[in-house]
Amino acid sequence: MATLTGVLARPSGYTGVWSWITTVDHKRIGILYGFTAFAMLLIAGLEAGVMRSQLATADSELIGPGVFNQMFTMHATAMVFNVIMPLSASFFNLIVPLAIGARDVAFPRLNALSYWLFLFGTLLLHAGFLQNQAPDAGWFSYASLTEKPYSANAGLDFWALGLLVLGTSSVAAALNFTVTIINMRAPGMGLMRMPLFIWMTLITSILLILAFPVITVGLIELTMDRNFGTHFFMPQGGGDPLLWQHLFWVFGHPEVYILILPPMGVVSEVLPAFSRKPLFGYPFMVFSGIVIGIMSWAVWSHHMFTTGLGPVANSVFTITTMLIAVPTGVKIFNWIGTMWGGAIEFKTSMLFAVGFIALFIIGGLSGVSHAVAPADSQQQDTYYIVAHIHYVLFGGSLFGIFAGIYYWGPKFTGKMFGEGLGKLHFWLMFIGMNVTFFPMHFVGMNGMPRRVYTYSAESGFQLLNSLSSLGYIILFFAFVVFIINFLRSSKNGAEAGNDPWDAPGLEWSISSPPPAYNFAKIPQVLGRDHFWIVKELAREAGQGPVQAEAHVDERTIHMPSPSYWPIIIAFGVTWIAGGILTHYALSFIGGLIAFVGVVGWGNEPASAQSDH
Amino acid sequence: MGFTPLGSARRAAEFTSREDGGATNPPRSRFIKFLAISAVLLVLTVACSQGDRSTWNPAGPVAGQQLQMFNVLVWIMVVTFVLVEGVLVYAAIRFRARPGQERPPQVHGNMPLEIAWTVIPTILIMALGIWSVIELWQLDKPPASADYVLEVTATGHQWWFEFEYADAGGGKTITTANELRVPVDTPVWVWLESDDVIHSFWIPRLAGKVDMIPTHRNRLWFQADSNEIETLPATFLGQCAEFCGLSHALMKFEVTVMEQDDYDAWVASYGQKPSLSAKGEQGQKVFNANCSSCHTTSGPDAAALVDGRVAGFLAGGNIAPAPNLTDLATRQKIAAGILDLNEDNLRDWLKNPNDIKPGNWMSARAPFYKDGENTLSDEDISAVIEYLISLK
Repeated sequence: MATLTGVLARPSGYTGVWSWITTVDHKRIGILYGFTAFAMLLIAGLEAGVMRSQLATADSELIGPGVFNQMFTMHATAMVFNVIMPLSASFFNLIVPLAIGARDVAFPRLNALSYWLFLFGTLLLHAGFLQNQAPDAGWFSYASLTEKPYSANAGLDFWALGLLVLGTSSVAAALNFTVTIINMRAPGMGLMRMPLFIWMTLITSILLILAFPVITVGLIELTMDRNFGTHFFMPQGGGDPLLWQHLFWVFGHPEVYILILPPMGVVSEVLPAFSRKPLFGYPFMVFSGIVIGIMSWAVWSHHMFTTGLGPVANSVFTITTMLIAVPTGVKIFNWIGTMWGGAIEFKTSMLFAVGFIALFIIGGLSGVSHAVAPADSQQQDTYYIVAHIHYVLFGGSLFGIFAGIYYWGPKFTGKMFGEGLGKLHFWLMFIGMNVTFFPMHFVGMNGMPRRVYTYSAESGFQLLNSLSSLGYIILFFAFVVFIINFLRSSKNGAEAGNDPWDAPGLEWSISSPPPAYNFAKIPQVLGRDHFWIVKELAREAGQGPVQAEAHVDERTIHMPSPSYWPIIIAFGVTWIAGGILTHYALSFIGGLIAFVGVVGWGNEPASAQSDH
Repeated sequence: MGFTPLGSARRAAEFTSREDGGATNPPRSRFIKFLAISAVLLVLTVACSQGDRSTWNPAGPVAGQQLQMFNVLVWIMVVTFVLVEGVLVYAAIRFRARPGQERPPQVHGNMPLEIAWTVIPTILIMALGIWSVIELWQLDKPPASADYVLEVTATGHQWWFEFEYADAGGGKTITTANELRVPVDTPVWVWLESDDVIHSFWIPRLAGKVDMIPTHRNRLWFQADSNEIETLPATFLGQCAEFCGLSHALMKFEVTVMEQDDYDAWVASYGQKPSLSAKGEQGQKVFNANCSSCHTTSGPDAAALVDGRVAGFLAGGNIAPAPNLTDLATRQKIAAGILDLNEDNLRDWLKNPNDIKPGNWMSARAPFYKDGENTLSDEDISAVIEYLISLK
């Protein structure tokens, strides 16, 4: 019995690598997500560089189609699933408990499990590179190209199985944050007093929970078609390739809102702080987010306008897609309203937030042009679409994420980022982004399809492609500047203090970085923009500036204890998937490991020995 | 801080002048930058909108109407962009904090504004949507007044296009590949199929694309207008527009638009027995021994024949559906629109097709290819080339 308790005892007193492996602290998990996702951003960015090198000149023989097709597939798959989503997850982890006045999320071990599933799923997804068999059928992998014999090597299995593991990570995290937000808000924080970022997290989490099962079904069916002789999408045998598209895009369209709503939430936090006035039209910002979430289910076939669905379906989806522009416009107007009449400080974070709005307007407008089915039949599958994608995901999501990094970075590092390098980063990225992607609107409408590894000299596409490739170089330097700034500032930046921006959220009332327990005393929330209210009351009472909440002895506040089991379960689950690629016996062993992990999780003591 | 006249004047002076006198970003230099950017964009637009495969250069009613719709959208996008982006930039500049500026009025919202900017865009978007739907239905079929519509079935294969005319004229069946010949001013109904993966049929100057999906029978129509075309015969580039594997980028086709008389003459001469030299006869023998299980040169392909090739391919056999080569010598290009038809290119293609079209099924499945290299003798290959260029 003693040995059993010994094996199952919660780890305690770990430092160094083991403390990170067994952590259940949302702040550490957020940092793990952030660094892993940023590394993937660099890798996927280099994959883009390979493509832009090949496409810089006509009839180039630099990169052959085999490699090129892997590049565009993995660039997009990684950017969606290994960069933007986990960067948002990093923010959820770092910010949500602090912003709602909680000490951690509802299920800390589940939170850790989500991270390890994300890491291992990412590794599985990329493992194909080791055998020159990375997935190569595009990030949405249309059937029947993905079936054998057309994709004979294991690449698509790495894709499907890697995404299945990543999906479990996302759903677990989404469930966790939904429960956290609904149940663990500090007293006084009614739903309509939550910071807008928390609302966007909640809506995104609900979308994740509902959307991932759909693609999970599709991925399982694809895996079964490729490995177990079924015919879901295989025409010979009665299947229908179009079924894959419906399954993918019913997931895929809510997915793009999953990609954009959290950065919109970030921007909705940054603008008020640097305009020094509250978010304009808060209830409308909440409701437009909810409406976008609901309507995102009604537009998926605008990705399928050219698949011959017929004029009735095309008409319906034209209308629904146009209508979703309304709540999006409402958000843009309210952001401008937030800035209007303000006293704007253009710190780097604010530059990125305004840049987000400027670039998202362009991406959103080209999106409206895709909504019209007959016009879309010329745009679909051309570089015009590639331009739209990058304006909304790069100019949109990534700019919003950088706004958040510069805004909340000081909270977690305790240091201010250099403003000079920050502004240089912004301008290089803003200019580089436009030089790279704006020409793509034109080359697409001039007849250049997407996913082509080469184009002929007669096509006339060379000029605009060279321009795009030049833009890539500018973007490359933008990222170099950011990395330098981040590293230098983390070491030598000025002390941030708890509230460098005079901002409204709860997270600014505690030290930078926060103590392990976040809040010594769970706050009583006085309203929306609680900390502004606290500071205003202090000013009116003639008191000095509000200090960070004083630290207390960590040992007096019980925090969730670390655990071995999340990483063990994640390892087992990944091998259930990996065994399908190697030996089925490994799937069985992986299942066993996961099962043991679950039993261990369920039976381990509620807290580490030292807390008793 | 009292409201003395002097105090007001001082505060007014503070708020209306920038501490740097506006030197870093005076309105005029911003305007010049704006002009410069607009000029660049204008040049780009003008310089890049002509071209033999540009959607901005329509040659028929379908592409023309689709472009018209796009142009309306462009105007809407440009106006919206200028207005909204303009307000954003204005706000960013006008409401920059002045040094020592107090907290601005803590405005929370404005209900009439919220209603206005929800309702008005909804109305505008609904109007746009209704117009889009009307145009969509109009474009769906050729005009009812057309007295003759040519029907063609286009089948996508990795990585070439098959065209079959059930009735090209006078009841004659034609199977050809990679070059679609049509008469001018005639609506063409194209049925779209695929026997392997999803492809897409796209002739940018004539019509927006529709996908070719296995098990589905999609369709589109187009028409080439004589008043949009300078001289006939005219060639329009088509390209596969749905990623379909290794050589997707190299899967092109051409649409040759002809006067009705020239089209009729082509139909009549299709499939006539070619006159062969001795070398050509030798080449025909080599061809029949090695190539004819996949490639037909004697006329249209029967459906059962093609189905047999597809089934054999899927079973892993030394066979695949392949372009019909009847009247090959009357075509402009080979290998699906990527190489000019001439002896040198034919030789390069036959000797090592994988160099030209990576992944092509000919060198993967035909038994006389070993590691992508053609193992037939140079003499045999020359004879085959002689045969092929006699096919007219």
